[in-house]
Amino acid sequence: MKREIYAYRCRRCGELHYPYRMVCRKCRENDHNEFDPEPLPREGILVTHTDLYALPAVFEIRKLGLGIVELSNGVRITGQLRVEEPKIGMKVRGEVEVVRSEMYSDYYGMVFYEA
Amino acid sequence: MREVYVAGIGITSFSRLEFPLSEIAAYPVMMAMKDSGLKDIEHLYVANMGGGRVNHQTGLASAVADTLSLTPSGAELIENGPASGGSAVKQGFMAVASGMHNVVAVTGAERMREVNNLEATDLVATLTHPIAEYIYGVTLPSLAGMFTRLYMDRYGVTDRHLAMVAVKNQRHALRNEFAHIQQEITVEGILDSPEAMTNNPYVAAPLRFFDCCPVSDGGAAVILTSREVAEATGRPLVRLSGVGQASDTHCVHEREDPTELLAVRRAAAGAMEMAGVEPSDVDVAELHDAFTILEIVESEEAGFFPKGEGHLALERGDTELGGRLPINVSGGLKGRGHPVGATGIAQVYEIAHQLRGEAGDRQVEGARVGFTCNFGGFGNNVVCMVLAGE
Repeated sequence: MKREIYAYRCRRCGELHYPYRMVCRKCRENDHNEFDPEPLPREGILVTHTDLYALPAVFEIRKLGLGIVELSNGVRITGQLRVEEPKIGMKVRGEVEVVRSEMYSDYYGMVFYEA
Repeated sequence: MREVYVAGIGITSFSRLEFPLSEIAAYPVMMAMKDSGLKDIEHLYVANMGGGRVNHQTGLASAVADTLSLTPSGAELIENGPASGGSAVKQGFMAVASGMHNVVAVTGAERMREVNNLEATDLVATLTHPIAEYIYGVTLPSLAGMFTRLYMDRYGVTDRHLAMVAVKNQRHALRNEFAHIQQEITVEGILDSPEAMTNNPYVAAPLRFFDCCPVSDGGAAVILTSREVAEATGRPLVRLSGVGQASDTHCVHEREDPTELLAVRRAAAGAMEMAGVEPSDVDVAELHDAFTILEIVESEEAGFFPKGEGHLALERGDTELGGRLPINVSGGLKGRGHPVGATGIAQVYEIAHQLRGEAGDRQVEGARVGFTCNFGGFGNNVVCMVLAGE
């Protein structure tokens, strides 16, 4: 099974949202659940990034790359970044992978690599 | 609406405090009661973010009311992330302005050093979006790091400008006996010296250790009253003349222009409009410098300097004590410390102290109008205030 992360398109005005929200940000007219989920594209441009050294305790690594990416459909997403020398504006490609492991659960999210 | 006055102020030391959270919240109220001579508090507002999670204490407002023997006065807890303090002052303001109460106490407290720094950082990180931010390991420093990178790229802010904020605010804190950080630093020492990579390592690049506020314990309180009550205390009159609040998208990545802090702009404009003042009327400001970049950007969004030029004002020394618009003369979050729930109230404490003309060797001469900005989330909930001396 291919794992996907979904954006939500308003059935009233077509505005695309990520993450999910109950009321469309643009038209504010939709009824409950009037959104169509759409898998997020994987290609995008790196908007900004950081290397985080003060990590939450569940991450047993020395540093964690994080970034905001603008995907090819214009939706932005925050994700982990595994790029040697990240630069604002570079092309990246996302994979849905485990981004956090706790005692009984794995959490999946978008991890970006150099395209 | 009735006019609302800050009749009494109180604060604890900001550092590591070995007292129960309820006492850290109660002590500054006691100080504010002594300061104003007021004993009959009709209602108590308590601001706190982490009591339930970090200190295993919920229902804090009732505990504080009883500790102060204020029963049967009403009391409630206000949790609004790092803007809890500002929100609590706003609730107190509305209670007096509406005529519902004549005398209310607003206190804020946090005891975060009961746990280690990682747990304290995680407490604050729980305010990020649970599935679109938090699961990735996003913390407030990481959001600030990404924001700083973009701001440097677009406006030419450098790590030296950031260091200048830290140097300035820690220098100011040396004049504040209640400030957490009592250490003078220099730009050379934390950026250029051979020791810089060890004494000032990256936390969330490009932000370094000295760009981040400390994790502090502490409490601060104000007593808000009607004009008649404030006049009767005989203390200098300080009016809480404007309150503004605004929210923004939960996820930082959803903002149209991620270098803008729209909630700061809107909350500041709202507070100034209510008070009938312009940014140029403000004589002294307390901004939410949880990270050095935030002082620079908030000073722009509040309208004190044009967008993208806050760092130039810093270079000119405008924001230093003695400059055109001194910012964070208390030391700010960077120097005074950041016990989350207390911060918004500590800002109002400092401005009231300044407008009374009682701030001693950190007094801003002739200060008549003051401004505060309490920044919650990463800019998704901001409370600003304007105070005026009479």
